[in-house]
This record gives sequence, structure tokens and C-alpha cells, in this order.
Amino acid sequence: MTTILIANRGEIAIRIMRACRDMGIRTVAVYSDADRKAPHVRYADEAYHIGPSPAAESYLRIDTLIAVARRAGADAIHPGYGFLAENEDFSRACRDAGIAFIGPTPEAIEKMGSKTAARASAIAAGVPVVPGTEDALPDTTPDDELVTIARTIGYPLLVKAVAGGGGKGMRVVNVEGELLNAVRVARSEAGAAFGDSAVFFERRIVHPRHIEIQLLGDHHGTVIPFVERECSVQRRHQKVIEESPSPVLTPDLRTRIAHDAAAVARTVGYTNAGTIEFLLDASGRYYFLEMNTRLQVEHPVTEMVTGLDLVEWQIRIARGEPLTIDPAEALRPRGHAIELRVYAEDPDNRFLPSPGRIHTLRPPSGPGIRRDSGVEEGFDVPIFYDSMISKLVAWGSTREQATARLRRALSEYDVRGIKTTIPFFVWMLEHDDFRRANFHTTYLDELLSARNGQPFAPPGQADEDLAAMAVAVRAFLMARGAAGTSAQASETLPASASSAWRRAARRAALRS
Amino acid sequence: MIYEIDIAGRARRVVVEPIDGARLRVSLDDHPPCEFDAQALAGDRLTLVNLDSGRSHEVGFAPGPDAGDIVAYIRGMAIAGNVGTRRGRGGVGSTQGVQRITAPMPGKVVRVLVAPGDEVKARQPLVVVEAMKMENELSSPRDGRVADVAVAPGVSVEAGRLLVVVE
Repeated sequence: MTTILIANRGEIAIRIMRACRDMGIRTVAVYSDADRKAPHVRYADEAYHIGPSPAAESYLRIDTLIAVARRAGADAIHPGYGFLAENEDFSRACRDAGIAFIGPTPEAIEKMGSKTAARASAIAAGVPVVPGTEDALPDTTPDDELVTIARTIGYPLLVKAVAGGGGKGMRVVNVEGELLNAVRVARSEAGAAFGDSAVFFERRIVHPRHIEIQLLGDHHGTVIPFVERECSVQRRHQKVIEESPSPVLTPDLRTRIAHDAAAVARTVGYTNAGTIEFLLDASGRYYFLEMNTRLQVEHPVTEMVTGLDLVEWQIRIARGEPLTIDPAEALRPRGHAIELRVYAEDPDNRFLPSPGRIHTLRPPSGPGIRRDSGVEEGFDVPIFYDSMISKLVAWGSTREQATARLRRALSEYDVRGIKTTIPFFVWMLEHDDFRRANFHTTYLDELLSARNGQPFAPPGQADEDLAAMAVAVRAFLMARGAAGTSAQASETLPASASSAWRRAARRAALRS
Repeated sequence: MIYEIDIAGRARRVVVEPIDGARLRVSLDDHPPCEFDAQALAGDRLTLVNLDSGRSHEVGFAPGPDAGDIVAYIRGMAIAGNVGTRRGRGGVGSTQGVQRITAPMPGKVVRVLVAPGDEVKARQPLVVVEAMKMENELSSPRDGRVADVAVAPGVSVEAGRLLVVVE
């Protein structure tokens, strides 16, 4: 394997290319119109334009991607996460073209990608599942039948898209009156996002924790499960904070869940990287939720506590190498790691997307900090894709140390020009329940709705005083620079930002 | 020099006087004056060392939405300000009077949940706009009555486009 095409963009494209570079493998990037100036294009050895900005016309075009891979002489394709990562047609198209797909087989994706078939696999493996419908409910299911089926499962329940993921196409129904509307919304979202509007129902486990097991499977029949990740801090079913190990799992429970996860993977002859998600209820019972047949966004926390490079292992598995990881070591975490997903969203305005130009970007660093990012200063965060701009990960010998390092890193993280979720994380990490790991999957939604939109990190009086003085000093130094007494101030300030400021400074100066 | 500055919605008065070199005397409102060593850094930042207390500060800046608007960044905290252009800013952040709900980002209207004449409560969803692959509910900032619905489902909207008027 000498050349890998990365059929993705943003932070994950760069993260995969980094592993390739470590292994001496040539990298091929693809880009849409909106991403011509994106960092992943320049990080790669080669880059090819694949179409207009909407993902359906670029990053989701299987034919174009295969043609580019052939043209570039790529012998493998890594799909990253999202886009085509869990699309069995893409995995099959790669196989048909004689290109290695760095991920599972089309058969495994097909089975695990359908939530109903995945449930059946879990049941076959003797792993507990959440009560729910065994078959998908197509568009044609009459309303009265939906109501009847829902009654047999009981409320509260979840309406979930069969092809869904990341919270898209999923709705909570607390009472029967909400059911039909929830089905309509879930179908419309799933149809738009995945091209498949079939849904199913599932009992909602009240206040569960989200526990997931990363695993790797090679082509020689070995499946190795890893120490769990906990991703219970979610906003509208989207993971916001992920950590490893879970603060609540005992070694005994860890061994049992990991064993069950591997059993589910073995029923489909699973190969490459995958993750089995479970819900853990307050009494310590756990239920199979679904399998993600790809590398996950939150894979770095597992890497931090195991010292492994999961992407490197994905590539080695695709090359046919056997897994040589000690299974006992894989379940033994070294220290603690926590990841924050930093989004271009305005937390003080109900987390609405905040696309636009990043005016300034100075990332944090220092002991225990890892930042995976796909954006840079001057980059326009496009409206077409997921709005995550980076993953900030901290490792510490304890959870407390990892949390302290994240707090420190957030205070260093200088992002200007767009709104980000950094102030939200500053607030969240200070929260008592977070420190005590006292949370569940709807904990954050409940906390946020109770806050009624108060700002997350409001400036104190001293900060406002300093800001007022600093704004005045800046205007003063600019006016002085403009008057020629000190060229230094004006030279170090960007021209675009300073012209309006000079006018303002002069006006202000005239009043004095 | 005297600067009339609006910080976080509050009018402040700052007097800046040169002492020598990079040293400045800065007086804020009625506080006693402070002496700073103030120097500009690359990337639109200032380093300020308080020559009395020794406190060291870094403040970054980025332009705000309108001329004269500026955002000051202190340890990751964003503080909105305005200098030199004294405008009536009473409407900012107010939820009184006629409210024009506009699209906060470009996207596509998926659903319109109200019709002209409907009575609505504060935080009641009005319109659902899809952007960045998520459906975003835009809610009423106040109790009131829908005076106008300016969009229909399926319409693509630019940031700032009027969606609904609540009075």
C-alpha cells in the first residue's frame, strides 16, 4: 500500500494523512469548490477537485471518487467518518475497482448499518437490546398502525431513522399525541440526510449513560475490544464531550461489556475499526444500541489512554497484517483522556451555526494537550458541512488533571471572528455535576433548558473595565500611528480592520 | 484623549494620556488613573502591563458586525464594544416592541409553524431553517401576535433575511 486517497475533508482528513505520513504513505486529497483553500488540500501530496460545494455533488459522489483514485494511482481509500464512511455501495465499488477500502466489508456495513439487522445480530450473539420494533416502518405504514405499534413498546419512546446517525432523524416521544408529528419530522430529516426515510421505534431508557466499545478486527479472525469511552454529555443526541475510561465502570463490568461487543462484531465477521454503542442504566444493566462501522470522531481519547494509533492499525489491517495488540493491555487504560468537540456555533444564541471567516486562530498547546483541527486563520468556515472546527483533547494521569488541562487549554484558545462553543465548555467544565461525572445522555439538554439562555461565560466587572481601557488604548495607539509619531502601532494592525478604526480614532481625538 | 466607549451595552469614558515611550496614563470613568506599558502585537493584540500592580494582560481584537463595532477578547472571553460612533443602541438585546425574526445563517426554510394573526408565547418555535445539515428552530423572543410571515417552506434564505414579524 503506497498511496491512499482520503475521501473526506476537515480535521479527519488531516488526521488520517498524518498517520499516512508517519508510515511513509503518499496521500491524495479531494476537495469541493468550497474547500479549494482548505488546509487538508495543502497537507496532501496530491489534490483533486471533485465538484460543487454541496456534499451530494462532491464528497458523496462514488463514481468521481473511484475515478480520481484510479487517476492518482491510489491503491486504497480511507473514508474518514460521515459522508460515505458507512455506505456499503462505496465499500463495494472500491472492492470492484481493486482498491482497498480502509474499513469493513460491504456485507458488514450493510448488516450493521441497518439498525434492525444490527439488533438481530446482537440478539443472535446473546447481547441484551432495548425493547423496540424488529422491522423498519416504511413510509406507507398507516398512522393508526404506528400508534398501535408504539403502544406495544410503551412510552417514552424514540423514533429513529433506520439509516440515521449523529442524532439526525431521531425524535423523542413522551406521549402518544406527539407520535405522528415526531415520525414526520424524523422522516423528513432522514430523507434529506441519508436518502432513506424508513424509521423504527425503540423504548427510551430513562437517564442512561452512553458507553461505547472501540474494537479492531483483522482478516485472520481476531477481534480486539478496547477500554470503553463514555459519551453521556450530549446536546440533542450529539456527543459534546467524550472521555475514556468511563468514570463509573468497574473493571468487571468493563470486561463483560467488552466481551459482548466483540461477540456482536464476530457474528458479522467484522474487520477494521468499529464501535459498539451501549446504554447503561442506573442499576448497571446495559443494552446494545447500535454499531458504528467506521472510525469515530472521538477515537483520540482511546488513543490517548492506550498509546495506539488507531488509523495506523486501520491501514495495517487493510494491508492484511494480523493484530499484535495484547488484548489485556487494550482493556487497561493508562490515565484519563477527555475530548471536547469545538463547533462554529453561538452557545449564547441556542447554539445556532456561526459560519464565516476565522479572523484569528491561535491554538492551545502544552502538557497533555492534543488538538485535531481542519481549519486555520483566514479560513471561511463553509455552510455546507458539519460545523465542527476542532477536537480539543487532554490527557492526564487522573480525570481531575485532564479536566484542569482542558480548562487551561480553553483559556489559551484564541479564536476570533466566528462564535464557537468554547465559552460553553468553560462553563461546563466548572459544573459540579461534570466534576463528579454525575450525568446521563439527556442531562445536558435538561441543564440547558433550565438556564433559559443566560450567557455561559459572562465577563466580570474587571474584564469589562479592562476591555474598555484596552479598546481606548488601541484607538489611541492607532491614531498616534496614523499621525506618524509611531509607525509601529499601525503596521502591526491589519489594514482592513484598522481603516474604520483610524477614522473612529480621529473623530474621538478631535473631541479631546 | 477622551474616548466614549460602549462595552457590553454600557457607556464608558476612558481618558488616555501619553507619559513617555510606551507608558500611558489611563483613567476609566471615576476610577483612579492607572499607568500601563502598552504595546501593539502582531495579530491585532495589545500587551498591557499595569506599572502599579504588575498585572499583565493580553487583549485581542476583531471587528464587529458594523462600522465602529469591535470585539475584545480576554482569555477566550469575547466582549462586544463600540467606539467613536455614538448611536442609539437601546434596541439591541431588547425583547420589547415589534420583533423582526431574521435568519441567523444562510439555509433553507423547512417548515413554517405559524400564520399571520397567531398568538405566540416567548420561546415558541416559529420557523425551522435547515443549515449545516441540522434543523434549527427559530423561536419568538416575546409573547405576542404574528404580524407577518415573510417566507414559505422550501425557500432558500440568506443570513439576515426577514422570516417572521411578532408584535
